[in-house]
Amino acid sequence: MEYEVTLEDKNQTYVVLPAYNEATRIQPVIEAIAEKGYNMIIVNDGSTDNTLEVITESKRKYPDKIHIYSLIINRGVGVATQTGFDAVLFFNPKYVVSMDSDGQHSADDLDNVIKPLVTGEAQAVIGVRPLQDMPFSRNFANKVMNILTRIFYKVNVSDSQTGFRAITRDALRKIDINAKGYLISSEFIREVNDNGIPFVEVPIQTIYTPETQAKGTNAKEAIKIFIQMVKHQF
Amino acid sequence: MLLYSIIFPIISVVAIIFFLIRYLTERQSLATTILWTLLWLFVILFSIFPDASERFASLFGITRGLDFIIIVGFVVLLYVIFRLYNKLDKLQDDVNKVVKEIALSNEISLDDEEE
Repeated sequence: MEYEVTLEDKNQTYVVLPAYNEATRIQPVIEAIAEKGYNMIIVNDGSTDNTLEVITESKRKYPDKIHIYSLIINRGVGVATQTGFDAVLFFNPKYVVSMDSDGQHSADDLDNVIKPLVTGEAQAVIGVRPLQDMPFSRNFANKVMNILTRIFYKVNVSDSQTGFRAITRDALRKIDINAKGYLISSEFIREVNDNGIPFVEVPIQTIYTPETQAKGTNAKEAIKIFIQMVKHQF
Repeated sequence: MLLYSIIFPIISVVAIIFFLIRYLTERQSLATTILWTLLWLFVILFSIFPDASERFASLFGITRGLDFIIIVGFVVLLYVIFRLYNKLDKLQDDVNKVVKEIALSNEISLDDEEE
């Protein structure tokens, strides 16, 4: 019989949400996660809109489920996620998830993503987006990044640029992430692989809107990631 | 005497004095001061005696003195860019650390807003 994630498992899980100028999109994401019974660490990445106010408003509704940290200036998704990973250890959860806060990931996938960690099948999970559903430019950039991740980091995964990932607390303590921007996705996979942490891929749904498409790994970001990958070889 | 052979040495002397002051006020290392002083001394040399550049050029197998000066200029500029890039990268890392530490030691609570 297939394992059902319990409320206890959810209570032991913290979801890290880096947020930069997401005032118009983040509220439904936070509330969907809180409704499911998960805890959250939300890192405001020096947003210039009222993201912080929107997050604080959600905290009023779910005061015990939400913890907020705020970077005083924008440092990119890599630093915001690292801050979330550092903060999450204060709460000593069993499982840690990180996902995008712009609504492109669904809270409905959380159970499936943490299930391999709860059952002990793996210590890390990579949420894999269906590449065929992506717009052409994004699909192409992701394929290129998968190849580069294979060449530079020697890991073969079907979606190296996913922002939806989960890891156990003990495994999180072993990995060391220093990426500044979107390189964090590839670096997370490299660290998991290099530290011999068993991981699995879990299919997730992706909701593309014109706004979510404006962010993420586009050609410009891909070039930045490539430069950082080359730099890391030295 | 051509105009550049007067202007360039004046600029060079000012630059050397500037670097010496920076060294004496402990804002710059001795190695950096020597390196820049040498560079400006060469500028003085080539401005007053343009033919000297041809002697140096022939040492490196370059036929024209002007080509030699341009190539050296490029090399120096590339080195400066490389140094600046590294320093900027380190500064970025330091800023990231500070920003992260400030955030981690200040969890935002509902009381913060009410105050």
